Amino acid sequence: MPPRIHSQIIPNSLLSCRSSASQTSTHSSLPSPSCAPLSKLSCSRHSTPSAPHLPQQSSRSFSSTPTTQTRLRETMFQWLTTEGSELKSHIPGTTNYITDGRNRKKFGPEGLPGDSKPFPLNPHFKSERILSEELRNDIYQRVVVKKQSVRAVSTDTGVDMRRVAAVCRLVELENQWREQGKPLALPYARAVHEMVPTTKLQRDARLQRERPHEQINDLPAHRLTDAQIFYPVSESRQFTRVDAGRVFSAAPARLRGDDQGDQPWEVVRDLNLGERRIEAVGKGDGEQRVLQPADVRIPHPHLITLESERAANPDSLRDVWRAHEKRLKEGNEAEEKRKQRKQEARDRQVFRIQPKSSRFEFRIKDVVVSKETTGTDGRNAKAPGRRYGVPRSDRKKGQVKIPTHVLV
Amino acid sequence: MRNRATTTLKYPKIRQSWSKWNLYNLQRLRERAVKRQTFFQQKWSAKSLTRAYHGEQVRESQWERMFNRRVRSVIPMNPRRMAADDGSATAAGRGAGLDATEGERNIVQETPYTSMTYAPLERRLDVAIFRALFASSTRQARQFVVHGAVTVNGKKMRFPGYLLNPGDMFQVDPERVMFATGAPKNKYDRREARLEKKLAAKAEAEAAEKAGEEAAEEAKENEATPESETKESEPLDTRKTLQQMIAQAKNIMADNKTVMAGKRKQELRGFQKAVRRVMSRSSITDTQAGNLEAQFSEILTLLNAKQASRREAQNKKSESETTEGPEATETKATEAEATKDAEAPESAEASKPAEPAEGAAAAANEDKPTDALTEAFRQATLNPEKEVDVSELSWTEIDVLKRALVQLRDNPVDTSKPYATPWRPRDYMNAFAFIPRYLEVNQNICAAVYVRHPVARPGFSEVPTPYGEETSTGAYHWYLRRR
Amino acid sequence: MVVRIRLSRFGNKHQPFYNIVVAQARTARDSKPLEVIGTFNPLPQQPTNLSNEEAKSARPYKDIALDKARASYWLGVGAQPSDSVWRILSLAGLVQPKTHTPK
Repeated sequence: MPPRIHSQIIPNSLLSCRSSASQTSTHSSLPSPSCAPLSKLSCSRHSTPSAPHLPQQSSRSFSSTPTTQTRLRETMFQWLTTEGSELKSHIPGTTNYITDGRNRKKFGPEGLPGDSKPFPLNPHFKSERILSEELRNDIYQRVVVKKQSVRAVSTDTGVDMRRVAAVCRLVELENQWREQGKPLALPYARAVHEMVPTTKLQRDARLQRERPHEQINDLPAHRLTDAQIFYPVSESRQFTRVDAGRVFSAAPARLRGDDQGDQPWEVVRDLNLGERRIEAVGKGDGEQRVLQPADVRIPHPHLITLESERAANPDSLRDVWRAHEKRLKEGNEAEEKRKQRKQEARDRQVFRIQPKSSRFEFRIKDVVVSKETTGTDGRNAKAPGRRYGVPRSDRKKGQVKIPTHVLV
Repeated sequence: MRNRATTTLKYPKIRQSWSKWNLYNLQRLRERAVKRQTFFQQKWSAKSLTRAYHGEQVRESQWERMFNRRVRSVIPMNPRRMAADDGSATAAGRGAGLDATEGERNIVQETPYTSMTYAPLERRLDVAIFRALFASSTRQARQFVVHGAVTVNGKKMRFPGYLLNPGDMFQVDPERVMFATGAPKNKYDRREARLEKKLAAKAEAEAAEKAGEEAAEEAKENEATPESETKESEPLDTRKTLQQMIAQAKNIMADNKTVMAGKRKQELRGFQKAVRRVMSRSSITDTQAGNLEAQFSEILTLLNAKQASRREAQNKKSESETTEGPEATETKATEAEATKDAEAPESAEASKPAEPAEGAAAAANEDKPTDALTEAFRQATLNPEKEVDVSELSWTEIDVLKRALVQLRDNPVDTSKPYATPWRPRDYMNAFAFIPRYLEVNQNICAAVYVRHPVARPGFSEVPTPYGEETSTGAYHWYLRRR
Repeated sequence: MVVRIRLSRFGNKHQPFYNIVVAQARTARDSKPLEVIGTFNPLPQQPTNLSNEEAKSARPYKDIALDKARASYWLGVGAQPSDSVWRILSLAGLVQPKTHTPK
């Protein structure tokens, strides 16, 4: 119920602030200057430290319950008008998190540049830089227009290969939108780029390489390496990453002659070309491939060779780079070949027919009906077609009923 | 689904939201004192705190099914170090590497694995939309999905619980994003929109009447009449609109009071404001039709009229400013006091008397831009294709001119929009603005790609969580189900 | 009794999906057949992973899975395909397409 008695000013009451305000709000359409001194007086009296908040001094004069909520609200709005007002609008070019406000208080008006932690209690989460618009467009230009390989662009700009692909896709879509004249959210984009740290496009290619956007050689932690294994090795033995991988996957130790001394990029290239197979250990269902060393599993294995060559011949750096580009090209070709082979294998399975009388294409896939696929009772999961006498799982509890993927 | 995502002050819980309540709760969050608690209590409270932030819209049983004790993590490899060492140096000595001096040994930071407890939830579509800064809370993101404003890989997706796969692209309707992240309309904007709507309806009705009367006439004339009418009526109304504008300016000043008190003072902001206000007079139909030239010329006439009136007003205001100066500071002080105790609407009321003085000060600032700048702006607006003569301008002025023109085109005033125009970010947005690395966002088209799953790396966890590792560890252990 | 090659309907409401089955002619449509030799999805699917140019000329497609060897065996021993299965088998090149002849 709205308060009724307070519609008039009560001169000697502590409630005068509230009541006067409520009065002004009724006449809010006319900003009368006569209200100003009144509210000024009453409010200043209310805010003096000599008048502490007591439960009985609430706006609800007939209520005996303590009004903690209101006090909490008051402190909140007080904070919002004093300290919190700094966070109200962004400072273009820098972040403005709670921690930034505290740093400014501690270390002066500049704060701690680079210390962008949105959550004061979580030091492990940092607001990371995003790609600036120029860098994004530059990546798109390189990949789509200049037809550079994604791998080369990734190493040059210090951007993850998956992100390079995503950027190309997004910029392509943006260009389409611009062509079609669809309205873009430009002011929003500008505001976000002002609020969040960004990686600028460097005009100098070398600077760009030295200040990467992110770590591009991330090695995903493999499940097999979770275990801590005590493996005694003689001190004289050269125990390398290759050996460690074999220990982790419980493969027999390498013989001395096995070491072929291949560079990691050569291993990856041969795997792509199908000229090399990863050794498998175990039998039946327990069969697993031997864990490869980190050199082979990182996204850019050719960088290792580049670094070792650079260290070996620091005088002829130009030749080193030329050889590096040649290797990159070779690696890319091998990758293309692998993709091609995969596509061909897929096409071989499916026979496509486009009859003239129909507006559809029919894709006929060859399946095999035999005892191996259908089983003795015809209910084997590999059998073609929906199965008889086996309930579908699409309504069971615990099954995901919403789509699990959307094809592009 | 019941909305439990309330932000109370008494029992504060941090939510995935940009509200000022949440901000206040976040800033007063302190480390918990867990010394006196039993292990069970520690885990329980850790779980309850973190779950209030992570996927409170997800049922507990559903989340328990999603939880995975295996945490994705990566180790950044340095190719230079790998080239120098094939791993044998690490295994040398007694298996832990040869003894190195303090300088040589690189200090490896610990990986905060348990901060990744809620990583599976980051795959959800609604959470990803919130993380990409397309919605002001996960609840709102959820609503966008359910209402059909979101597509995944170009196809409409109506399930907020859709788990994104690496490489999935999701798009949100830009209008919705602007609404979610933009400042809300104040009551004056809303009133203006209402009036505009009424006027438009009236004009339409009149046009329809005329069309009925002049049915015999040509169809071409019918179309032309309403346009010419509005154009004729505009110049007559300019004086009236200017008076309105001055009144409006005061309101704007009142709204942006705290903004101006802050650091964000741009030197020539007054000029921008003038441009913006002039723009607000241009009719919406023109911007919608894309008839930029007509709009520009309209702006020009208004700018000229505005300048003349401002010169007159300047003399008066400079007098009043000198007298009002001390008073203004007084009123400001009282304002601060008033806001301490009073609630928000009250403070707005209390600050009313201070407005004229502040408005005058701002008006004085507005006169900063030189005549050359306004001249250039005039030229630019006159013929947008032609190059502007900028020889007389300083660099900052050119910059301002450019910004003003760009803003004119990209960020027009349009009362029909559900957010305050020209668009500006909503209050306190910056305190929550970060984009995690597992998303690649293009803000222009409000589209983002889920690049990969979030991972932990030494000293850093990609799952944004307001709590430290201690709390996260408690929650992780709770879901390991070894209570 | 006649052995027929026909379709038996699976799937949900508005989402038909057919098994191509070999069954006795008088048995129920969805009863257990002699043999399942394939599937047919009559809902057209949009082709994916296309460039912009390819997408303009691409046709939606319908998926068929068929064991050609078993189908030709059953045809050889006198199984009679139904009209819809005849069309599918003619696409696979196992029978001559029927030309509609008005009486």
